[in-house]
Amino acid sequence: MTKRTRIPGKEISKPVYINTRLVNYYWQRTSRNKLAVFGLVFILFLILLALIGPSFTADPTLVDFDEKNMPPVGFTNIKSAYHIDTNEFTTTEIRGTGKHPLGTDGKGRDMLSMLVSGAMVSLQVGLIATGIALIIGTILGVLSAYAGGWVDNILMRFTDIMMTFPFFLLLVLIVFIFGPSLAFIVLAIGLTGWTGTARLVRSEALSLRTREFVTAAKALGATDKRVIFHHLIPNVMSLIIVIATMSIPGVILAEAALSFIGLGDPTVPSWGIILEAGQHSLDTAWWIAVEPGIMLFLTVLAFNFLGDGLRDAFDPRSSV
Amino acid sequence: MDNNVLKVNNLKTYFYTRHGTARAVNGIDFEVKHGECLCLVGESGCGKTVTALSILRLVESPPGKIVDGEVLYNNLDLTKCRIKRLRQIRGKDIAMVFQEAQSALNPVLTISDQIIEQIMLHLPLNKKEAHSRACGLLEEMGIPSVERVMNVYPHQLSGGMKQRALIAMGLSCNPQILIADEPTTAVDVTIKAQILDIFRDLKRKRQMSLLFITHDLAVVSEIGDRAVVLYGGKDVETAPVSEIIDNPKHPYTVGLIGCIPDISQTTGRLASIPGTIPSPLELPPGCPFHPRCSRVMDICRHQEPSYISISHTHKVSCFLYQ
Repeated sequence: MTKRTRIPGKEISKPVYINTRLVNYYWQRTSRNKLAVFGLVFILFLILLALIGPSFTADPTLVDFDEKNMPPVGFTNIKSAYHIDTNEFTTTEIRGTGKHPLGTDGKGRDMLSMLVSGAMVSLQVGLIATGIALIIGTILGVLSAYAGGWVDNILMRFTDIMMTFPFFLLLVLIVFIFGPSLAFIVLAIGLTGWTGTARLVRSEALSLRTREFVTAAKALGATDKRVIFHHLIPNVMSLIIVIATMSIPGVILAEAALSFIGLGDPTVPSWGIILEAGQHSLDTAWWIAVEPGIMLFLTVLAFNFLGDGLRDAFDPRSSV
Repeated sequence: MDNNVLKVNNLKTYFYTRHGTARAVNGIDFEVKHGECLCLVGESGCGKTVTALSILRLVESPPGKIVDGEVLYNNLDLTKCRIKRLRQIRGKDIAMVFQEAQSALNPVLTISDQIIEQIMLHLPLNKKEAHSRACGLLEEMGIPSVERVMNVYPHQLSGGMKQRALIAMGLSCNPQILIADEPTTAVDVTIKAQILDIFRDLKRKRQMSLLFITHDLAVVSEIGDRAVVLYGGKDVETAPVSEIIDNPKHPYTVGLIGCIPDISQTTGRLASIPGTIPSPLELPPGCPFHPRCSRVMDICRHQEPSYISISHTHKVSCFLYQ
């Protein structure tokens, strides 16, 4: 049996977001890609976790040295202690308890609560930085394609120069100059990450610009601003959605990587910060580094899968 | 009395390409009178569309450039006036309807978005008033269930419907002049008849001037009052339509009319004009038509013919009549 592909029919008359048939159509195309569905489900789960998780978990900043380095449920850990009064060296085996299902870190903070609040940080970093990058990239790309001539030349050469900067070194430099503040890191990622978007959008807009509806709009008196914002940008939206899902994981990873080398914002418990703290105790408490690692891995994978699926679904030439 | 609403004088639009200068429009003169339908007729590549685009200064620049001539609308030269003024004229005083409705409508905006945008750009109406005006226009175009059509995207309409929506957009601000660039070429015969009806009605009801661009002499005879025959970027003959059809003077016009297939005669080969239209990159010296002309004379190869009046409405540029 082959599945029937339904092409959007005549009665569709609403924008995509409230148009159930068109949504169904794209959903049908996306959902044939099982990995994309996994990605979508995981991202929804993550958003839910970040939004309502903190009200169910303990305070992630609560320090309790009596309960430090508790293993996750189902694992055990050897705790050794030196008693100065009896001059004895004792080892006790501790088991994970339901109170801290994912264990605790070296200061006795609950891992689950930290991961949940880290999810919010990672999502915020990903969305805000990508948002900044997309806005800059889209406007520059469309402007460049639409204006053409020397404007195009200057903007694209500027993009080339931005591309040649080693992105990560630039981030390190910015952290070095302005200090490790999460806001600056997000801003820096956003302000440097638009180059790819600008190029992709430009090439798409170049072909749109020569389409007749642009000339027609001008013939009816539209200003350049109107043509750009009303006619060109809506036409590159599907491309932008795909670029967004593809670039969010890169941004999340960049923040984690910065944190990992010790340049993250120490006041915000992002996954990268937890990971960095856990790497020193890998031999005694492996879960502190492994748990945020798994979360990062799954998140990045989920966004990539979803991006792949969306790209295929939006591309009318693909046979999905 | 001078009742010209649009006057094009010696218009020259060249394209500077890497292969050389393409003289797409090479000195065209015509005028559109109030309330008349003037047809620009010619083969593909003779400069019809570039002429239309030049009137509203819509030629892509670079590579295109209006190098000479003037386009006078109410004594305002559109080729030289400020771009801000020109934008007010585009759509409000002079509107344009394009050949392919599919590509002239923005695929991601609904019909209502596009018409209302256009109305609110030029007229001091709020969204609700613009909406009802748009509905009225679509109704006038003979579109059934207007409310439904207003909210759909272009790809959900048939070709004829799209063309009508496009015409409604062009008419939305009650322009004095409507430039229609082959509006019937991309639709089938029955739709073509309906669309021509719409144009005829408009001309009668609104006293609007039409500049109708077509390669189809049947359409010209249906709708035109006067016709200008273009060849190689120049106008070669100007006359009332009945004169053009019954009494063509220029050998090219004669040839064009001879090419119309006759449905009652099924035998033999279709007539054609030998050769092809010259490339605008290398127009022949002298009369641009001389390499294909059956009645070519020596003088045609060296000298460009000037315009001569045969009667006070019929002008032709050919040495046969000098």
